[in-house]
Parts: sequence; C-alpha cells; structure tokens
Amino acid sequence: MRCMVPGNDPAWLAQLRRGSVEHCVLALLSQGERYGFDLARTLADAGGLIASEGTIYPLLARLRRNGLVETTWRESSEGPPRRYYRLTEDGALALSEFIHEWKRFQIAVNSILEQDSAA
Amino acid sequence: MTTRSASDLAIDRYLAELDSALRAVPAFHRNRILEEIREHIGEGRALLDVEDESSIGALLARIGDPKTIAAEAGAVDEVVGSRGRDAWVPWLLLLGAIPGVVFWLLGVGWILGVGFLWTSVRWRLSDKLIGTLVLPGGLLAFVLLLVRPAGATVCASHGGPGVSTVTHCTSSGLMLAPEVGLPLLIVLLVAPVFTIMWLRRNPHSTSVSDT
Repeated sequence: MRCMVPGNDPAWLAQLRRGSVEHCVLALLSQGERYGFDLARTLADAGGLIASEGTIYPLLARLRRNGLVETTWRESSEGPPRRYYRLTEDGALALSEFIHEWKRFQIAVNSILEQDSAA
Repeated sequence: MTTRSASDLAIDRYLAELDSALRAVPAFHRNRILEEIREHIGEGRALLDVEDESSIGALLARIGDPKTIAAEAGAVDEVVGSRGRDAWVPWLLLLGAIPGVVFWLLGVGWILGVGFLWTSVRWRLSDKLIGTLVLPGGLLAFVLLLVRPAGATVCASHGGPGVSTVTHCTSSGLMLAPEVGLPLLIVLLVAPVFTIMWLRRNPHSTSVSDT
C-alpha cells in the first residue's frame, strides 16, 4: 500500500480518527440527545474509534466551540441532572456534508486498495 | 461522611494528574473538560457492581492516560489559534506605548496589545480589566515622568551679547514635591510590572462554563 505511511504509526491513525470521530459524534446526536458518558461508552464499544473514553471531552469542546453541538442541563430519570448534548443546525449541515464526502472518499480509497491487492 | 475512601483518593489522584497534563490548555476549556470527566467518573462509578481498587482502576483506565486526553485537548487550541499571540500580549501592554514618547502615534503597540488581550480566551474578564486599566500605556507614564521630571523647569535665553537678555522659563510635567513625586514614580513602575506578572502566570483555575 504505497499511499499510506508504513507500519502502524499512531500519527496517521490519530489523524484519521480525529476527522471521522467528530462526525460519528454528530451522527449519534442526529438520532437524539445524549450525555457525555453515554457518547463515550458507545464510541469506545464500537472499537478502535477513540483512543480512550476521556478523549471524547476535548473533542466535544471543539465541536461546541465551532457551534456544531450545544448542551443543556436536565434532570434524568435515574440519578443526578445530566449535561445533554444536542446537534445544532450547523452541526446537522456539517454531518450531511461529511456523509456525502465520506462515501466518495471511501469508494475512492477502496478502489485504490483493491487495485493494489490485485496487482 | 468526612473520610475519603481509597476509591476517592485514587480518583483525586487521577484528576490531579489530568489537571496538570492539561496545564497548557486555556482555563476556559480545561475546567470544562475536568468537570465533564469528573461527571463521567460519577456515572461509571454508579454502574460498578463492586467498588474496589481494581474496578476503580479499570474505570480510570478506560477513561485513559491523562497525556492522551491532553493531546486531544491540544487540538482545541488549534481552532482558537491565538497561543502565539497571547505570548506577545504582556510585552505589548508593558512596553508598547513607550515609543509614543517620541511621537504619540508610535504608541500604537499598546493598543494592539489591548486588542489581543480582549480577543484571547486565555484570560478571564477580571484579568482583561486589570491588563487594560493597570496602567493604561504600561510603563509610558513612568518613562514620561522620568524624562520630564515632575516640576522640571526649562529656561531658554534669547538675545545675543550686548543685547539685553530675555529669559523664558517653562515648566513641564506635574508640579510635585519630591515626597509625592518619588512614591508616584515607584507606583508607576511597580503597577504595570505587577500586571504583566499577573498576566504571565499559569492558566488559573476558575469555574467558567461556556454554554
């Protein structure tokens, strides 16, 4: 695979994750509000998406800063009030753009990888 | 319950480690991240069947190495993109107005510093007020008082030899007795220097919430 940095260099993986995980968060929120712990567990359980659960919080800070998500404190049925994350209009727009680009990107990368393995 | 359990202590230790790993992150984001991770620990703890050293250890391990979290938080600053500028702020505030002694327009550096200060996320409102008001112009007032001492009198004589000489004397600066002028000079030096040390100290711990 000539197009990638050789080996399992964590630098490229971190970069690959950064762009895509942010949009996975947006995708999860497009299905409804979630609180941080819930988002962190869901992404961690998906496997390989985030380095560790705690890394979700700086990521959420970035999304909030860019106006893609917002938070509200609300009582929860079980336990103390929670900080719920919700998608903003800009967030929904960013997500639909990402989905479009991601599909194109995925097809392009796959076509190169398949050529490579066939050669 | 006033005694802290072994779990509490392990959590405290973890949060302290995280706090110091996040030192370079602006207070604004740092406090929010710490707050949310504290909440995360609370949620995770409530779900534990058995709370002991190993289950708490596993909970904290899932949250991750503070350095990994700090590395991710570094990317928050990339968006802000003002860390390099922040480093200039104290110096612009301290020294930026001094060239104005020669020509007032050259004192624009201080105004630039104020602009950077107010648009930065590193400082909170009280810091920004201190940076601007103590003292406007930084060391300018001190330098002015030094080059034009209080109550200085400048005399100029007109006329040549053999002609009757007229002497004009003009006073510049404030007319101040030395016992007032000297303490004033010290205040004008110490106040801006104090402000700059204040702005240069490490990001502080405040509870700022941004939503």
